Amino acid sequence: MTDTVVKINDLVKRYGDLIALDHFDLEIKQGEIFGLLGPNGSGKTTTINCLLSLLAFDKGNIEIFGKKMTPVSYDIKKEIGVIMQNVAVFDELTVYENIDYFCGLYIKDKAERKKCVEEAIKFVGLEEFKKFYPKKLSGGLLRRLNIACGIAHKPKLIILDEPTVAVDPQSRNRILEGIQDLNRKGATIIYTSHYMEEVEQICTRIAIMDKGKKAAEGTKDELKRMIKNTETITIEILDIPDKVMGEISGLKHVYKTDLTDGKLTVYCSGGKHNFMRVLDVLQKNELSFGRVYTEQPTLNDVFLEITGKALRDKED
Amino acid sequence: MFLHILKYELKNGLRNKDLIIWLILFPIVLGTFFKIAFGSVYEKNEKFSAIPVAIVEVNENPAFRQVVEGIESADVPFLKASFVTREKAEKLLDNGDVEGIIFTEDKLRLIVKEKGLQETMLKSFIDQYVVRESIAKDAMKNAPEKVQDVISVLTEETAASCREIPLTQGNPDPYIQYFYNLIAMVAMFGCVTGMHITMQNQANLSALGARNNCSPVPKSLNILACITGSCIMQAVCMIVCVSFLAFVLKIDFGDRLYLVYPTAILGGILGICFGFLIGSLSSLGEKTKAAVLMSVSMLMCFCSGLMVADMKVIIADKIPWFNNINPAAVISDCFYCLNIYEDYDRFITKLINMIVISVIFIALGFITSRRKKYASI
Repeated sequence: MTDTVVKINDLVKRYGDLIALDHFDLEIKQGEIFGLLGPNGSGKTTTINCLLSLLAFDKGNIEIFGKKMTPVSYDIKKEIGVIMQNVAVFDELTVYENIDYFCGLYIKDKAERKKCVEEAIKFVGLEEFKKFYPKKLSGGLLRRLNIACGIAHKPKLIILDEPTVAVDPQSRNRILEGIQDLNRKGATIIYTSHYMEEVEQICTRIAIMDKGKKAAEGTKDELKRMIKNTETITIEILDIPDKVMGEISGLKHVYKTDLTDGKLTVYCSGGKHNFMRVLDVLQKNELSFGRVYTEQPTLNDVFLEITGKALRDKED
Repeated sequence: MFLHILKYELKNGLRNKDLIIWLILFPIVLGTFFKIAFGSVYEKNEKFSAIPVAIVEVNENPAFRQVVEGIESADVPFLKASFVTREKAEKLLDNGDVEGIIFTEDKLRLIVKEKGLQETMLKSFIDQYVVRESIAKDAMKNAPEKVQDVISVLTEETAASCREIPLTQGNPDPYIQYFYNLIAMVAMFGCVTGMHITMQNQANLSALGARNNCSPVPKSLNILACITGSCIMQAVCMIVCVSFLAFVLKIDFGDRLYLVYPTAILGGILGICFGFLIGSLSSLGEKTKAAVLMSVSMLMCFCSGLMVADMKVIIADKIPWFNNINPAAVISDCFYCLNIYEDYDRFITKLINMIVISVIFIALGFITSRRKKYASI
C-alpha cells in the first residue's frame, strides 16, 4: 500500500485565455499537515476544487489514496472531509442536527452516527450549544460548527480552506489545536490560509503557489533556507560614523545595512555569529548603543520574497 | 440515504419562516382581505338580483305584459321592468339604469348597451319567450278556455329557463375567481423553494452546494430527495390554504372542492419545478437569482391574467403556445376551467398539461444541474 495520499500530475486549468493552473504537480504523504500558500489568484482554491472534482480541468491527473479521482468516485469521497472557507450549514437546523445531517451523508448506521456526532461536538467544544441554531452562535462557534460538520465522519483526508477567517485568537487557537489533534489521530491534512503564522505553527510541509505554478516546496526550515536573508540584526543607535558603517557593511555575510530613525538594521545572508561580529565592530569603535535584537526570517519573509510584494487584485 | 435527506429537508422547510409567511400567512391574510372587501358584493350576487329592463310597447302585447308582470311578482324576481316611452327608455339605457330595452314590435326586439352576463340573460329571455309563445299560441287555438293557465306556465318556464342557462355552467361568480387566483399565486410561490433546491445542490452557487457535492451521495439522489421534501411541504401549505378559504372564510367552491385540492397541490408542484429549472439555468448568485426568479414569475403571472385579466386573451390571440408553457397560465387555466365549465373535459386537459409541463421542467432542471461545473478563481 502506498503512503502517498494525494498525487497531482501536470495539472492544467484554463479559464479562457487565463491559465489558472500551469502544469502543477503535488504529492502529499500520509500523516502530513500540508500547507498550501499563495497570494490571491495564485490557484489554491482552483487546485482544491479540482482535487475534489468540483471543477473539470483541461489536462493532468489526480489520484487520491492511489485511485483516480472523478466526480463519481464515491468510495474516495467517503474518506474525505471538507471545511470550506464559507460556513456551510443550514440555518434552520440546530448544531446537533447540522452535524447529524452531514455525518449521515457518509455513515448510514444510526448508532455509529450518533457516536460520531457526539464525538465531533465534544471535539470542537460545542457541548453546551447542541440545541442552538447557527444564527445564535458567535463567529468563532460557527466556524467550529463548520469544522464539526466536515470531520464528524472521521475522514482520512481533511481539506481545510482558510478555516480561521474572521475568528478571534481563542477560537483560532482551539481550531489549530484541533487540526493537530486530528492529524495525531491519523488524518492527513491539507491546509490553505493567508495567515503565515498559522501555517508555520501547524504545517509539516508547505507549498507556495504563484500564478498557477508551484514556486517553492519544503519544510518551513527548508523554505527559509531558500531565501537570501537568514538573519536581521537591529540596533538602537543615535549616530554612526561612515567609517564604522563601511566596516559593518564589509563584514562577511552582511549584504545590506540601513540607518533610519536611530535604528541600524543589518541584513545577513548565511553564516554564523553575525550578531557577535557586528557588536564587536561597535565596541571596538567605542560607540554606545541601546537595545539590540536579532530576528530569524519568518514564513512571511519567505512568502514575500518568493511571490513578490506587488499587490494581487484577483480573488482566489 | 434518501430518507435521511428527506427528513432534514422537511425539518428545514417546517422551520423556514419565509416559507411559512409566503405559503401560509400570505394567503390567509390576503384571502381574509378579499372576503372583507368583496364578501358583501359576493353575497348580494349570490342572491340573484333582478335585471332592470325598459319595455317600449310599440304594438300592444298583453300576453307579454302579463308574463313580465308575473315574473316581477315572483318571490325571486328575474326582471325589474319599466314600461316607458322610447325616449325615456333610451335615456334610462344611456344612464345605465337599465341593462336593455325590449321593443314589442311584430317580433320582440332587444337593444343593449354592453355585452355581459345580464345582457346575455335578457337575450336568452327573449329567445325563450318567442319559442314558448308560439307553443302557447298553438295551445290556445286548441283550448281557448285555458288561456290563463297557458300564460302562467309560459311565465314560469321562461323565467326558470333563463336562470338555468348561465347557472348550470359551473360557478361563473367573478369573486370566486379572485380566490382561485390567490391559490394560483400561492402555487407559483413554490418557485422560490424550487430555486433553493438548486442553491443547496450546486457547488458553484453556495458553500452548502460545494459541501453536498463533496459528499459520497450522488447529486441526482440529493436533488430528488430535496424535491420530494419540498413537494410535501408545498402540498401541506396548499391544503392549509384551500382549507382556510373553504372552511374558515366559507368561500363556496361548490361541489368541486374535492378537485380544488389536487389542482392546488399539482399547481404548487409545478411552481417548484419551475423554480428548480430557472435556478438551474444560470450560475448567478443567490440574490441575483432570486431577483430574476421573482421578475420572471411576476411576468408569467402578468401574462397569465392574474394581474390584468385581458392579458391572457391578448397572449392567447398573439402567441397561443405561450399559455401552454407559462406555469402561471397553466395553473390559473386549470382553476378557470373548474370555475366556468360544467363538464370536466377542458379541466382534465389542463390538468394533464400541468403534469406534463412539471415533468418537462424537472427533467430540464436535472439535465442542466448535472452539467454545471464549479468555476471560481
